[in-house]
Formats: sequence, C-alpha cells, structure tokens
Amino acid sequence: MKFAVSMLRDYVETQLSAEEIGDLLTMAGFELEGIEEAGDDQILDIKVVSNRGDGLSIVGLTREILAKDAEANPTPLYLRAVRRFEDVVFTAGNPQSVHVETDHCRRFACLTARNFTNGAASDVIRTRLEHAGMRSISLLVDLTNYVMLELGQPLHAFDRRKLGATIGVRLSESGEKLVTLNGTEHELTGGQMVITDGTRPVAVAGVMGGLDTEVDGETTEITLESANFVNTSVRKTRRGLGLNTEASYRFERSVDPDGVVSALRRFGELLLQHQPTAEISAPVDVYPIPAPQREIDLRLDRANRLLGLSIVHGDAKRYLEALGFTVGGHGDPFLVVPPTWRPDIQREEDLIEELGRVHGYERIPEQLPEGHTVPGGVSGRFLATERLVDRLLALGYTQAISHSLRGEHPLDAAGERVGPRNPGSPDAAYLRNSLLPGLAEAAHRNGGRDQFWFEIGKTFAPSETLTLAVLATGTLLAPGVNEKAGATADFYAVKAVTEEVFTALGILPEFRPVEDPRFHPYRTAQIGEFGVLGQLHPSVADALDLPSETVVAEFNLERLLAAVPPELKVRSFSRHPGVRRDLAVLVSNDVPFAEIEVAIRAAAGPVLERLWVFDDFRGPGISENSHSLGIGLTLRKPDSTFTDAEANQVRDEIVAALIPLGATLR
Amino acid sequence: MEIIPGIEAAALAAMGAATTVAELRQAESQFLGKNGEITGLMKQMGGLPKEDRPVFGAAVNSAKARVTELYESRLAELNVAETNARLAGERIDVTLPGRPLRAGTMHVLEQTTRKIKRVLAGLGFEYQEGPELEEFRYNFDALNYPPDHPAMDDQDTFYINDEWLLRTQCTALQGRIFENRQPPLRVFTVGRTFRNEAVDRTHNHTFHQVDCFMIDENVSLAHLKGTLGAFARAMFGEEVKVRFRPDFFPFVEPGVDYAISSPKLFGGRWVELGGAGLIHPNILERYGIDTQRYSGFAFGLGVERIPMMATGVDDLRLFLENDARFLNQFRRELL
Repeated sequence: MKFAVSMLRDYVETQLSAEEIGDLLTMAGFELEGIEEAGDDQILDIKVVSNRGDGLSIVGLTREILAKDAEANPTPLYLRAVRRFEDVVFTAGNPQSVHVETDHCRRFACLTARNFTNGAASDVIRTRLEHAGMRSISLLVDLTNYVMLELGQPLHAFDRRKLGATIGVRLSESGEKLVTLNGTEHELTGGQMVITDGTRPVAVAGVMGGLDTEVDGETTEITLESANFVNTSVRKTRRGLGLNTEASYRFERSVDPDGVVSALRRFGELLLQHQPTAEISAPVDVYPIPAPQREIDLRLDRANRLLGLSIVHGDAKRYLEALGFTVGGHGDPFLVVPPTWRPDIQREEDLIEELGRVHGYERIPEQLPEGHTVPGGVSGRFLATERLVDRLLALGYTQAISHSLRGEHPLDAAGERVGPRNPGSPDAAYLRNSLLPGLAEAAHRNGGRDQFWFEIGKTFAPSETLTLAVLATGTLLAPGVNEKAGATADFYAVKAVTEEVFTALGILPEFRPVEDPRFHPYRTAQIGEFGVLGQLHPSVADALDLPSETVVAEFNLERLLAAVPPELKVRSFSRHPGVRRDLAVLVSNDVPFAEIEVAIRAAAGPVLERLWVFDDFRGPGISENSHSLGIGLTLRKPDSTFTDAEANQVRDEIVAALIPLGATLR
Repeated sequence: MEIIPGIEAAALAAMGAATTVAELRQAESQFLGKNGEITGLMKQMGGLPKEDRPVFGAAVNSAKARVTELYESRLAELNVAETNARLAGERIDVTLPGRPLRAGTMHVLEQTTRKIKRVLAGLGFEYQEGPELEEFRYNFDALNYPPDHPAMDDQDTFYINDEWLLRTQCTALQGRIFENRQPPLRVFTVGRTFRNEAVDRTHNHTFHQVDCFMIDENVSLAHLKGTLGAFARAMFGEEVKVRFRPDFFPFVEPGVDYAISSPKLFGGRWVELGGAGLIHPNILERYGIDTQRYSGFAFGLGVERIPMMATGVDDLRLFLENDARFLNQFRRELL
C-alpha cells in the first residue's frame, strides 16, 4: 500500500522520520518496500500481508505505530475514528430503502446526499490520492477513495437519479448483464454477488460500480453504499469477471464490519467541508450477520516459552490493549477478545504472535535446540547417490543440472508425457521423460566438441523416477602441448564408465544388443533391466549438431539402487604362483564375446582367476566376417603352484568348449 | 727404476688432461689396466736382481697409489660434470601449461547442497526427500492453506490436474513425515520446486529450496533463531548476525521473515533469506501431535540464493543453463 506520510501524520503525532516510520512498520510486520520524496512530503510503500487486511488503511497502520512507539500519540482525528465518528450526525430526510438478500453480504449501509456540486476535491486530498497511486476523478469519487485509504472501508457513490427506488444485494441469475465503470460489458453467471436497485444489477458487489449509475459532473444527488462482503465470494466473482480493484483487494483480505457506518459519516463530514450546502441523510444500516465475538485464553507462561522471551503481565496486557484487544484475567490465562478488524486471530498462537511482534523479535536470543537426540545425517540411497556423483566426477565427467520443464526433443524417450495444464510457454510444456535432451543441449551449448557430461535427476515417464544419464564425445585424454590427442570416446569408453558405476554398486549387469530409434541400430545395448547405452543415430546427431560419434547412456537409478546386494563378502585369495596364458580365439563376427566368455569360464572352472580381452584383430590373415580375440587368462590354485602341465590341460578343455561356437585357437 | 717417475708423470698428466669420463677411463686403462704401463712395471720386477725388487716394488706401488687417487677424484669430478651437462640439456619451460586433465566439475548447486547437508546433519537433522510431482493435499491442505488462497492460483502454481501439481515448496514434505512418524523429529530436505513465473534475471519457474523442521518439547523461536544463526554462519561466515521480522505464511504461527547481515556481504545491510516460524498448531493437530506437549519450528530458503550472495552470481538462469564458463568457475569448491 502506498500513501503520503502527511496523511499518516494527521492520525499520529510522532518524532520519527519517514524512514524510521518505515523501519518501525517493517519490524511490526509491514515491510517497507520503498520510500520516495514528493516535495516536502514522502511516500511510503508498505507491503501488507494477506492476513492483515486491517493494515490497508491509515488508521490501521497508525494503530501499529502507537503500539510499537512509546513516544507516539494519537491525534484527535484518530480518537474520533476509534469512536466511529459518532460525533458526526446527519438528519436530512430522504433515505434509501435497503434489501439484503444474500448471506454473502454481512452488513449493508448507505446514506443519501443532495444539494451539492460534484466539482473537485481539495488540493491536499487530490495530491494525497496521487501519492497513493490513485487518479483524481471528481469530488465524490475522490472522497470515496480518500475515506477508503483512511479507514480501509471501500465506498461507492451511485447517482441517485439513475438508481431505482431501493438498493440491495443479491446473487446474480445466469445471463444478467452489467456494464462496469471501465466500459466492459459482462454477462454474469449465476451466483455472483451484485448490488441492485430493485430492477437490475448496478454494481459488482465489492468490486466495481456500473457505468450507467456512475456519478459525473451533473450529479446532484447520490446514494453512498458502504458494506461488508464475504471475502471468498468477492474473490471468486472478481476473478470470474477478470477484474481487480482497490476495493476488491481489501474485501478479499478483510474489512472491519464495525467500520461500515463510520466510513459513511467520515465521507459526509468531508463532503460538507467541501460543499457546506449539502443535505445528508442519516445512514440506514442493515446488519443481518453480526461479527462473532471470540474469547481466547492466552497463557502468558506458554507464550514466553514459545517465544523465548520473558514478557511480564503488565506489558502483555498493554501490548494487546494498544492493538484494540480486550484483556481480562491475570495472564493465567488472560481472557482476550480480539477486535472486529482482526479475523486472523483465531487461537492462542495468534495472540502469542501479537505479543512477540510488539515486544520485538530483536529481543529473542539465539539458543541452539535442546531436546532429544535423533539419528541425523544423510544415509541410504541419498548417500549412494552422492557417491555416484563423486565417482563420475573422478572419471572426468562434469555434472549437469537441467530443467525439468521443456519442449519436445529428438532424444525424448518414447511413451506418454505429462505436463502442466497451464504451461508458461511451449518451451516448458512437458516434464522431461529423459535426461538426454538436457545433456545434448549442454554439450551443444559448450561447443559440441570434447564434451563429457552426466546428470542425476528426476524424469517423468510419466511417473517420477530418479535417473542417471551420461554423454561423451571427443578425446578421452586432452592433448598436451606438442602431443597427439588420445583415443576418441566411443561406445566402449562409455561402457567403461557404466561398468564403473555398476562395480561401485556391486552389480554385474548383462549387455544385450537392442534397437532404439534414437540410437545407432548396431551400436546400442540394453543394460540388464536398468537402462540403455548407445551411440547416437547419425541423423539425430546431425539434427542436434553434435559429432556422429557421440555416445550416451541412461539408467533408472532407483531400480539400480534397489538391486544393490546388501552385503560385501571378501573372498580369500591364493598366495601360490599362478600362470598367465594368452589365447588368440578366431571366431565369426556373429558370435558375441559374451558367449565365448561363458564357454571359457565354464571350461576353465574355479582355477580361472582373471580373464580379460587385450586385442580384437580383423584384417590381413583373418578370413572375412571373422575376428581374432586376444584373451588373457590368469590361472591359479588356492593351495599349490599351478604347473605348465595343468595349464595345458585347461587350454585343451577350452579348445573343446569353443568348438560348438565355431571358434578355434590360433 | 728411473723410468717410474716418467711413467707416473705421464699417467698423472693423462688423468689430469681427460675432459670426459670416457677419456679418463681410457687413461686408466692405459696405465692401470691389465696391459697398462704401470701394471706392466710390476711385471718387469721379475727381471730385476732380488735385492733391488723391494725398493722397486714400493716405488711402483706408491706411484700406482698416487695415480689411482687422482683417477678416483677426477672420475668423481667428471661424473658430476657430465651429469650436470646432461641435466642442463633436459631443461624444460616450467611456465608452459600442465597436460590438461579430464576432471569433472561438481555443479555449483550440488556443492551448495552438500554444504547444507553437512551443516544441518551436524546439528542432528536427518535428510529426507519428497517428490517433485506432488499431491495438492500435501502442497496446500496439509500446510494449512485456506481454500482459495491466492498462492493456489493457476497463475502461481503449475497444475497437472486438480489433484497433482509441481510442488511450489519443499515444505510439502512435512505432511508426509508427520503422517508416519511421531516426535521428536529433526528433518530437512533439499529439492527442486516450481512456480508459474516469468523468467528473468532474478526469477525462474524452476529453482531449489531447503526446508528444515524440528518438533520436540518446548521448541521456541529462540531455538529457531539459534539454528538459523548457526546455519547462516556456516554458510556465510562467522561474522553473520540474524534478525527476525514478523511475516505471514499459512503454515507457521508466529511467522517470521529472517534476514542476515555481515560486514562481508552487501556492505553490512540486512538481506532477507527466507521465511520461518513455529509450525502452525492446526498442522500439528491435523496429524495427532499434542500441541500442549510439543511445538516445532520450520524454516526454508532458496538454494540458489546462497551462491548468489556468497560469490556474486547475478543471474538466476545461469544455474540451469549448464554453461561451462559458469560451472567451471566453481572448480574451487564451496566448502
């Protein structure tokens, strides 16, 4: 809320400067958002939180200053406002008759005025309205806005000549029409609260008046409405009609039902100051739903325990009374009745907050928590995930963190996608169902060459799943000065990374060729039931402007972590010398290495300590569609030295085992 | 006998003149080797009269000793010289760059999260996670939002449908914890959150939050302040002070906004970090927690704010763009 400080000073006498007032209001819970010089006045912009509708008025903010600043004093104007301007009495006849026909309206009051000219408000009032961000329009409209600023009660003036015989409130029928002050024609749905004149809707209740009952320069008689409306009804209606006004803003939060008639009196008083000939009727007040009175117990010792303070009885009572609460009892407990402008006060904790904020939160000391020790820390799958991050970093991959919301991408996984029903833009229309698009974008963004990335994050395919993905393209060892570059990262390079990840988790997965339209049809593997590893399909790489030898992998990390065996059992190992044997296995290209490995392991039995591949040779001397695998074996026995004769026997068994695969030893 | 001094002199001269170890060894071989001249003198001893042999032998031995001594000292000297010369030839330019490594950089958000985890775990809090795709009832109902609260608007929240949304706050975890566990509790979480906002330098639709809460007997705002103070000092330095001002959130009462100040940050002025308060009793009652016996506090803040304040990052969008020029500035890790 923006307002001129001079307006505040009409209500409170204080030595504080505008900045100091801003600071005090901030520490009371009304944050200063801006302060502006305006000639010899200042403009404060105060944030009012949504449960303190009473702060949307000068009188409300004055109350806060009086409660927090011991040196401040109320002005006579403030005291008159507190007494509801009851000293202002109108006696002219010609009141309007009022009908309230919905319980969305708690109170409805109005008065009539005539015999005046709708000229201009005083310079002071017009300037103050401008400082508050409201345009000056005419005397009548300006006075309604000024009183709303002062007291927080929205008012609306109808040109009485354009109004029917009565005025009232009801819910609309579907199809009723109303042209509002801003010129828009609205077709009402049923159930929207409107003010009517007995024949047709003349205003959207609590939001905006109608165009054809608008006051203008020719208006000589008005009906002035002041009412209290249920906030959810106003909110629903104004949103349905696409409207948002100073009035609806206040009603959506809260407006004091007890201030309804005071605002009428204050308006009348100001009108008479401008137009001494005006004749004003006594307000007609219909109050079908009186505000409920609550009495809340407040235990001071409990309050102090929760606040970490030591507020004494006398101060507690004083704070609450300054804020308008009625306080009975002795603190054990106090019996507190909240004022009508504080619907946010429902229970003891709300009162405890009042005590704390008036006493001052700066007086709360810092204490570390005392209480029961509970096992803390990061454990289980959260810790395992951290360790995976560390492992991948150590392998030379940089961590990417990408958006969850994105547009379509060639690397999206197949299948259903979900997205918000109200996306901000087409670039954020879907929840990602794969991490690969984000990695491809990261690689491209950083030049597309020599890119090594991984990401761990949630994908939605469509249910939420923790996922790990890796992307590699370029040389594995960065070239030094005067050195040739190392090997290009290929399928096997990324396979090594995936094998590292699985080893770190104690899992031994199976790799099988698989097809995925995103990837090279002959360079892609399914990894157990966990994920996929493959070189990008050249057309996809091309579309993404990435090198064709770009390899990616993606796993369901939740499934992976769930498959981690519970225990590590260390095996003892032999201290006797073993022997090393190398085999050159000549075999057709159609036989996967996995089958050869299985055959060799079965044939060699438990003496096979280690098996590895050191060569895969195709070319001169090897027939077409065949290759020669160089396989190293370490053979060892647990309790004696492995002899050459025993090694030869193993070799013979392997030869025999390879025959069914069509493989021979060279 | 007369020839001994001459040979010795020649040997000493040859040793003295050698400029390389190879030359020296050649001289050694020439005079002291199997067929060397001094060695040869000893062989001649057999042709001398018996009474002349002891004197001759002694003279030869002392000549041999002197030559050997010179040889050994020259050998040592020449070895050192040759080694030095070789080393000088191996000189490199130490100012050339080191051979580039493929070393991965931990993302700045991960670094920040690790730090948060370490600090809060150190205060006894247990790490938990909730889903990003969350149910309306955990994100709003369980947090005491009244029906029709402005934050629930489509303009602020991404809805998949009426029941499912992208969580707007990590506080949504609280209901999930409270429905399964009884106090005492100390839990925190770090995770991704979403708000339907236009993206600019200081706003993004996707960002990350810490949320931390505790329920025990007699938990007060003083404990909240103490925990925040310890947390803020661990994040931003020992000089940090904490301040509260009243604020409103549906899930806490009293509710506060907390700010920090430090001579090292923003010239010592107060900078707001996030919202906090005592957990609203409506929430505790909803989950059957006795509000007369237990109370709790909760606080949250945006994760990105921490590196933005501590290192001067000035554009929120950078955190999710994966630009190596940004990420690699954090190779020096935020500990």
